[in-house]
Amino acid sequence: MNGTMLKATIAHCKAELLRTARNRRFVIFSVVMPIIFYFLFSNIVGDNEIVGGVNWSAYYLMSMTCYGIIGASFSTFSIRLSRERSQGWIRMLRITPLPAWAYILSKIVSQAVINLFIVVMMFLIGGISKGIDLPVSAWIESGLWIWLGGLSFMTLGTLFGTMRNPDAVQVLSMITYMGLSVVGGLWMPVETMSSTMRKIAELLPTYRLGQGAWNLIAGGSLSWEGIGILAAYVVVLMAASTWIMKKQEAV
Amino acid sequence: MKAAIQLNGVSKVYKEKKAVDDLTLSIAEGTVVALLGPNGAGKTTTVSMILGMHQPTKGTVKLLGGDPRDQRVRDRIGAMLQDVSVIDGLKVGETIDLFRSYYKKPLPLDYLLKVSNLKAEKNKFATALSGGQQRRLGFALALAGDPDVIFLDEPTVGMDVTSRQLFWDTVKAMAGRGKTIVLTTHYLEEADSVADRIVVINNGKLIADGTPSEIKAETTGRVISFVAGQAVTTEALLALPGVTDVEWSGRRVKLYSTDTDRLIVALVENRFDMRDIEIQSGGLEDAFQALVQQAN
Repeated sequence: MNGTMLKATIAHCKAELLRTARNRRFVIFSVVMPIIFYFLFSNIVGDNEIVGGVNWSAYYLMSMTCYGIIGASFSTFSIRLSRERSQGWIRMLRITPLPAWAYILSKIVSQAVINLFIVVMMFLIGGISKGIDLPVSAWIESGLWIWLGGLSFMTLGTLFGTMRNPDAVQVLSMITYMGLSVVGGLWMPVETMSSTMRKIAELLPTYRLGQGAWNLIAGGSLSWEGIGILAAYVVVLMAASTWIMKKQEAV
Repeated sequence: MKAAIQLNGVSKVYKEKKAVDDLTLSIAEGTVVALLGPNGAGKTTTVSMILGMHQPTKGTVKLLGGDPRDQRVRDRIGAMLQDVSVIDGLKVGETIDLFRSYYKKPLPLDYLLKVSNLKAEKNKFATALSGGQQRRLGFALALAGDPDVIFLDEPTVGMDVTSRQLFWDTVKAMAGRGKTIVLTTHYLEEADSVADRIVVINNGKLIADGTPSEIKAETTGRVISFVAGQAVTTEALLALPGVTDVEWSGRRVKLYSTDTDRLIVALVENRFDMRDIEIQSGGLEDAFQALVQQAN
């Protein structure tokens, strides 16, 4: 990597961050909504209710952090990608010296920065206001898990982003985002669901992201099954997006 | 002269249809070339193959002596493409700076804002610009890397008269600094005043190639027109030496000829009843129409 490309990648990351911070949808769905939901539902259920072996206030903090991160990595990301592709922006970038890998890298790095911001913000707000008492190691482990695991939702965002109509992407990704969050137990815990719904939830990536965090704060560990299912989603979604993009390019 | 662009026997086939058909073309460094042709003639396809965005079905394309997809080549080119919108969430100055970061030797931001006439819009969001302003932003982005070869695909669509003037002045200044410029446009008078060379494409084939005056001379030649008296007939006019076509509008008649000097003498000698005589050379517009009609 030469100097210009390093400079270009950094400039691209900065531009991506600036665009996200100015994006109203991001601020509403990944910052404001998780915070409001968190306070609303932790008060309704009661902070000290025990769910999944931990206090509800800690459990639900993990849920809402996942919810915010998935919104940023999947829904907001897919709309932006679709817009960049349908409005010729990608075509324009392809004739500049910016290599494809630098573009992809800057998307991932900037998403990682945004997701880290969401994790830290949620943990600080929830942890301080509710006085959640967890060992430092549990904070760090669950934070790292949500942060890195959440990046896997970029593959779902990429798949939706291959669609050429940004308006359709906006609606479809929003429905999918809400659906996956509700059924995956991020809004209400799977412990309250019927056994059939629970079986469905266990197949979803949203549940698997949350499950890792819930286990870690309850003193457990990540399950290989959970990691495996998330990884399988990543592989399948990436293959599907690559295949669709190749097909679109061939025309 | 070194070739900036070299196409050898290039064809592009889309679903059985030949968009570009066995095109061979060499463009020397430092020239301003206008690619002209009716809609769907293959101009944009040709440009996108030169830029490496599409691969030719047959033949080879060389840009600055290399593969257009090579990063070192891309560092030296810039383009205004059609149907490219602006990036959302960034201001004009930020968008230009982002593009400047891609290149080894970018032009200064102030200069780019000046030539695109966007100084006052520097802190506006790019999405809030008008169509013509967005086009000018596209121009600033095309020039960001101080390119040696510049592609302008229908660059002035949507620009107002003042912006258009500044735009062509800047393009001419770039040409004066030895840059190679390839443009496609629907405004033939623009091509006429800017280009050193005109390449006409129709149905994916090259049908004419030369300086603007060569193109005009080869095709339409010149025109004599006058208001004719009642006795003047088409047959009598066509019998004159060198008349290729006769066109009436009311009593005003237009005579097309390759040699208007001889024709005017013949008209006077034959004592034709004429008033308000005008002699004009055909414009590029006429030449272009004639070429495309011949080819069809």
